[in-house]
Amino acid sequence: MDCTRAQTRFPELLDGRLSEADTADVRAHLASCPSCQREYASLAQTLNALDQLPATRPGPRLRANFYAMLEEEKNSAASLRAAVVRRRHAARVSLWRWILSPLAALAIALGGFHLGTRYGAPATSTPAPVADLETKRELADLRSKFDSMSQVIATSLLQQQSTNQRLQQVLATLDQKSPNQKVLADLIGALALDPSVNVRLSALDALYPHSDQQLVRTGVLASLPREQNPLVQVAMIDFLVAARDRTAAPELEKIARSETVDRAVRDAAKRGLAQL
Amino acid sequence: MLAVRDGELDALGELFERHHGPLFGFLVKLTGSRTAAEDVAQTVFQRMLKYRHTYRDDGSFCAWMYHLARRCAADHFRKTSHGPASTDPVQLDDRADERPDASQDAAARDEQALLHVALARLDRDDREILLLSRFQELSFAEIAGILECSVGAAKVRAHRALKELRDVFLNLQRTGRS
Repeated sequence: MDCTRAQTRFPELLDGRLSEADTADVRAHLASCPSCQREYASLAQTLNALDQLPATRPGPRLRANFYAMLEEEKNSAASLRAAVVRRRHAARVSLWRWILSPLAALAIALGGFHLGTRYGAPATSTPAPVADLETKRELADLRSKFDSMSQVIATSLLQQQSTNQRLQQVLATLDQKSPNQKVLADLIGALALDPSVNVRLSALDALYPHSDQQLVRTGVLASLPREQNPLVQVAMIDFLVAARDRTAAPELEKIARSETVDRAVRDAAKRGLAQL
Repeated sequence: MLAVRDGELDALGELFERHHGPLFGFLVKLTGSRTAAEDVAQTVFQRMLKYRHTYRDDGSFCAWMYHLARRCAADHFRKTSHGPASTDPVQLDDRADERPDASQDAAARDEQALLHVALARLDRDDREILLLSRFQELSFAEIAGILECSVGAAKVRAHRALKELRDVFLNLQRTGRS
């Protein structure tokens, strides 16, 4: 292989995209050619420097603006018309499902009952682990505080008419550098209870700058077990890990062990535990 | 994206969550500004919504996204009538949080700052292909589709761009040391 042919393959060699045979040829040439060695080393140095550039993360406003735009589009006349057409089509397709599903469910239930009564072992109750009284009391206190706060917020959320309005309400808090406890509580309430994934994610984004506050961390941690959406679950875990909240470790361990939780969420919990 | 095209607009939320980080990283390096990158990224997702009916299942979603991103960035450069704003490390105020807090002389010698400058001095086409091939985990077939050229031409352009970056970068390093 001559220098020109070898050098045309350097970028792919550096990217690891070259075939094994070509890699061997180029490396053999490199071993015996000081000029190509210099050329290769300078390209490798440049690419190495390029790879060292820090990854940049967008600010919360990009996500907030995106979901506001998405809500607007969903509420536009054309989208609503399309949704109606889609629903009608889906209703026709699922007609047979409505008829057959109950019959199938009944058959499965009867089969299960039959097998259970015939082969199943009698149920036994296992004693609940004895928790430390002090911890139990603190947990109960925290839970009752959180529940009462959630109810207040749920009421205020219900007064809002649309997802878009609720999203706008969350976005408005982004401009506040030091929001009061009421605003933070509203955001935690939106994170815990809002039916829209977009609103919950935006609320979490808005809470990021205030992760140093105990109220915020406790709110996010208390919302985590209620959350069902994997995207929001992962975002919450990242939040707690970024805030270095060690009290989140037991909940993360529970998630990491749970087989019913989405795999990406379990992985995020495992990574989080390692960092905590 | 097929679901979005068929009217399931919420599916775009999942695509946003998965891809907006890498897209933003690409645009920051392409435009040289966080603000411009956020604006262009926003426009990219706006156009995905607007032109969702034109999406065809004949390539990867990423390739389509970067195809749109190139066009949105080109519009941005046309409006601002120039390429990346800063070619001098001391003027990179938009990236102030990404550079070490140091004096002007130290910043000029800082390798990352120099590399930002070197990137900014490349032709936009060279910068684009370098960023696509190095950071976005795209195959050359996909890059060729994005740039609307052959696979061979994409490889040649990527190589040329890398050599150009190397020359500018090493030159800046030499100047910085002297």
